[in-house]
Amino acid sequence: MRAFRAELLKATTTRLLLWFGLGLLAFLVLVLSIHIGSHDQEGLRELSTQRTTLGFGGLAAIVAVLIGSLVVTAEYAHGTINQSFLAVPVRGRLLAAKLAGAVVVVFVLAALADAVTLLIAELWYHGRGDSLHLDSYTLAPFLGTVGAAMLAGGIGVGLGAIIRRQTATIVAILLWLLIGESVISAVGDSARFAPGHALGSVVAAHEHSTSGDMLAVWPAVAVGLVYVAIFCCVGFLAVAGSDVPSRGD
Amino acid sequence: MCLSRGASTHSARAAPPSLRRVIEVEHLTKRYRRAKAVDDLSFSVPRGRITGFLGPNGAGKTTTLRVLLGLALPTSGQATVAGHRYRDLDAPLRTVGAVLEASNYHPARTGRNHLRVLATAAGIAGARVDQVLAQVELSAAANRRVGAYSLGMRQRLSVAAALLGEPELLVLDEPANGLDPEGIRWLRNFLRSFADGGGTVFVSSHVLAEISQLADDVVIIHRGKLIAQQTVAELTLQAAGGTRVRSPRAEELLARLREAGIEGEATENGVLAVQAPPERIGDLAAAAGIPLHELVADTGSLEEAFLELTAEPHP
Repeated sequence: MRAFRAELLKATTTRLLLWFGLGLLAFLVLVLSIHIGSHDQEGLRELSTQRTTLGFGGLAAIVAVLIGSLVVTAEYAHGTINQSFLAVPVRGRLLAAKLAGAVVVVFVLAALADAVTLLIAELWYHGRGDSLHLDSYTLAPFLGTVGAAMLAGGIGVGLGAIIRRQTATIVAILLWLLIGESVISAVGDSARFAPGHALGSVVAAHEHSTSGDMLAVWPAVAVGLVYVAIFCCVGFLAVAGSDVPSRGD
Repeated sequence: MCLSRGASTHSARAAPPSLRRVIEVEHLTKRYRRAKAVDDLSFSVPRGRITGFLGPNGAGKTTTLRVLLGLALPTSGQATVAGHRYRDLDAPLRTVGAVLEASNYHPARTGRNHLRVLATAAGIAGARVDQVLAQVELSAAANRRVGAYSLGMRQRLSVAAALLGEPELLVLDEPANGLDPEGIRWLRNFLRSFADGGGTVFVSSHVLAEISQLADDVVIIHRGKLIAQQTVAELTLQAAGGTRVRSPRAEELLARLREAGIEGEATENGVLAVQAPPERIGDLAAAAGIPLHELVADTGSLEEAFLELTAEPHP
């Protein structure tokens, strides 16, 4: 519990989260504006469009995987991992605290992303003389965003523990999201099980699969949990079985 | 911490050997791929004293300390603190305070927040943070980001972090590196006062002058192997070169010394270098009625002893 509280303190005593939050906010304003602006009045009234619009908060999952990885790799980059392991020498305990801390942080971030998405969407709809129809159907992606972000944060922590180099980890994540997922989608029919697709399915939060590339929400959550377990187990073993470098990358 | 230095030494004498040694390194080997950084190294550090850990660059000092602190995994052997591996200590920061590199900080975090994080992780009361900041004279800069600190200030912050848990043992890796003379003096005074309060200090350095002024004992390693472990006094005595003697009857004195089984040689006109203490030479000269114009013990230094011990063998 002490290590967990220390992880939360680490997260809130630098401006990393602030910059990520502001970046996400700016990105949401941009993509929501483009998305809403590209629909006519009729299209905006459709509940499926509104549900899709409110699902844009799911972009928080991308930020979440980056934050999760930085929770580990930033400590290696700055060398603070040395003092962290001096204070909490059982490595698995420290990494578990990092996992829990990252999940809490991205939970808050995703909730804020949902709130910002709702606010921006309401403003746009109001500006175009319409209003959102808020019910369990249109609001389901809000829960999906929170769930996907928490899973993404966990995957990020595991990946960060495996690679441990900050720049390399961020590049690997972005390459995977920008290229890897597309390649898998193009070459086979199992893309729905790829991490990005699975988390996208969690955000979409459909009870039943709506296309070949998407899973229903609960199978998607299960796939996401499997990824978290795999990445974290491998990452934790990698950290436990190696020396702590005396300098960062 | 509340014991005086004398009391600590006294209690150490009464304690069983295992309790007298706060650090024990036993047959420690650490291999990086094909290179052995530490090679079957064994030594111990006594409680309540300042022990210098000496060796040339690359001798394996940092590796040994990192294994001791659980940051590096040993290939074989073990290093323990108070009889336990570091990771098995109940309250590690309350047992050992470590000062590693001065660069282990998040530059955007303030000095106070850096310490708050460590205190929280170790279950140490937050009030202790301001106490240690005052102790290392960093209170005024506590709310500044560490990235704006000078090297000396970061080193003090490292010391503050080490003191958070009020440990009985401080382990420092090259703490004087990059410090200006004022910083070095501050550090020396600080470590001396810590040891005077009954604490144990284990400090690695290649700044030999620092160690000779500070340490009671030294552990010297070279190429990962133990070269010597003894008190500073013993080591400097070992490096002593003999006695310089000047006499108007130097040749006669040399002959008398050789008759007495004492080795010596003429180094310049009227000057002898003699392998014996000044008292013995003076007595012999007096008995023979030979006048002496100079009789000086050639005192050795820790640096000479260190260089001698770690010298590469000539082909």
